[in-house]
Amino acid sequence: MRAVFSRAMAALLGGYAFTYAFTACLARLLPLDRVDSLLVASLPAFVVYALAVLWAFAARDAWRAWLGVPLALPLALIGFWPQLLEHLG
Amino acid sequence: MKKQTLTQAMAWLHTWSGLLFGWPLFAIFLTGSLAVFDQEIDHWMQPEVQRQDVPVALAAEHAVAYLQRHHADAGAWNIALPSERDPGLRVTAGDRRRGISTDLDPRTGEPLKVREAAGGSFFFHFHYTLNLPRQIGIWVVGLVALVTLATLVSGIIIHKKLFKEFFTFRPNKGQRSWLDFHNASGVLLMPFHLMIVYTGLVIFGLIYLPAALHALYDGDFEAFYQEAIGEAPHHHGPSRAPLATLVALGPLLAQAEERMGPLSAVSISHPGRSDALVEVRRVLGNRIALSKGHNMVFDGVSGKLLAGPPELRPSVLTQRVMFGLHFAQFGGYPMRWLYFFCGLVGSAMIASGLVLFTVKRRRKYLVEGRAGDFGHRLIEGLNVAVIAGLTLACIGLFWINRVLPVELAQRAGWELRLFFALWALTLLHGWWRPHLQAWREQLGLAALLCLGLPLLSALTVDHPWDDRTRLLLEATSVICGALLAWTTWRIGRRAEQPAPRRHKASAALEVN
Repeated sequence: MRAVFSRAMAALLGGYAFTYAFTACLARLLPLDRVDSLLVASLPAFVVYALAVLWAFAARDAWRAWLGVPLALPLALIGFWPQLLEHLG
Repeated sequence: MKKQTLTQAMAWLHTWSGLLFGWPLFAIFLTGSLAVFDQEIDHWMQPEVQRQDVPVALAAEHAVAYLQRHHADAGAWNIALPSERDPGLRVTAGDRRRGISTDLDPRTGEPLKVREAAGGSFFFHFHYTLNLPRQIGIWVVGLVALVTLATLVSGIIIHKKLFKEFFTFRPNKGQRSWLDFHNASGVLLMPFHLMIVYTGLVIFGLIYLPAALHALYDGDFEAFYQEAIGEAPHHHGPSRAPLATLVALGPLLAQAEERMGPLSAVSISHPGRSDALVEVRRVLGNRIALSKGHNMVFDGVSGKLLAGPPELRPSVLTQRVMFGLHFAQFGGYPMRWLYFFCGLVGSAMIASGLVLFTVKRRRKYLVEGRAGDFGHRLIEGLNVAVIAGLTLACIGLFWINRVLPVELAQRAGWELRLFFALWALTLLHGWWRPHLQAWREQLGLAALLCLGLPLLSALTVDHPWDDRTRLLLEATSVICGALLAWTTWRIGRRAEQPAPRRHKASAALEVN
């Protein structure tokens, strides 16, 4: 039961974190203007999220199900580096 | 979860996410299918409004005359013009959604006494909020939609023999028939299901996942909107400008109609002031892309065109086409019927999946001697209340609309209270009655209410069938009633004839 709960949380929360970071990163890297980047990155985001949910339940063990979270960190760094630089002064 | 193959893992996910999210999903699908005809249902629920052939310009002139007489000092007016779908003329003083609304006779401009009704807009709001507070509801429905998307994909992964299952249907075989129906309808309408769930998520996509908005615009949606579409001139707050005469609307409407096609409404902000603005909105549905918010704005004194419908860049157009595919405002009535039909088949697909869950489990529990298990009874009771009960409550709302006294205060609120009371009763009933009887009684009653709708109209309304929209709605109700009656009869027949060489209880479990 705990393993199932962990996977469900990995699917919804871990999947959200991964999708959020992935979308931000993609929007930052696309060689388009702001409006187009935002939409081109955002419109397919739910495909990414749904696949992340499936991953959490297909992964071999409950730990691997959380793989999206460590992956989200570098993606978020790329996505938000201007904000980060500003924040650090 | 033990170590298992991908197919097993996906089957497990499909079963449990399908069960837990199948209940809200059924409610979303059923009310969404009804919301395809929201304005038609609005019109049916207000039988005092008559369909009349009045030119739009004349109706608008009457509306302005009424508003000038009664609401000259309001900061804004809105005029909902008669259209093919909703032939009523309705004026609102103040905010478009929260202001004071009055129904007018489009021929004379005199106020009409029209009953307050929940209308088809209730189904529309329920569809995307489940009647929860708006923000919470949008997130809950979004969660259901996301899990549904994952469940659909897991369903595709389980069924490797997709093409074969498409042609497989073994009727009268109990559990197998439920499975075949679930597979056939799921596969046949898979493009529709994927499209409708995905576009539904995209509508509130920037609320659910504002990642790119945060990254590129620091979360400032207004700034994005300004860059993507551009904002037409508009007012905030009350006017201090001097008084001035409002421009005649007729020529503006003609100009707007020529450019945008049939019109749905006119909003006038700061009417009677020198800074008045006239915004003309079109009927949604000249094209697939949802054209909401793309209107023409005129100066309210000189009548000069200030802003036209914007040209959309490809990325924004793509987003708008996805919105439009969900809202089904394009393609006229044939497209509406197609969406309605697909929505109902989709609801049946979800329902068959939910029933399949209990049928399978009941067999297992019978073997293990746990058929009266609390969890199983709970699931069976919820199945009855969500599938049969909500169907009953929806057709019940139509009856409540005709039966409640017209002059009741807060009437629309009472319609909804009774709707939810009826739904709650079906839950009690589903819990209290033996399982199969609960199905039969609730579906049977829903069938009766559907079949009897034209009769009810005949008894409560003058000239009930003069209006083609109302006539078609009642004809559709009769067809749905016949289908429900057939379903009820099938359940009854199976319950009464135990299959040969089987224990009676196990024959019953084949059907529920």
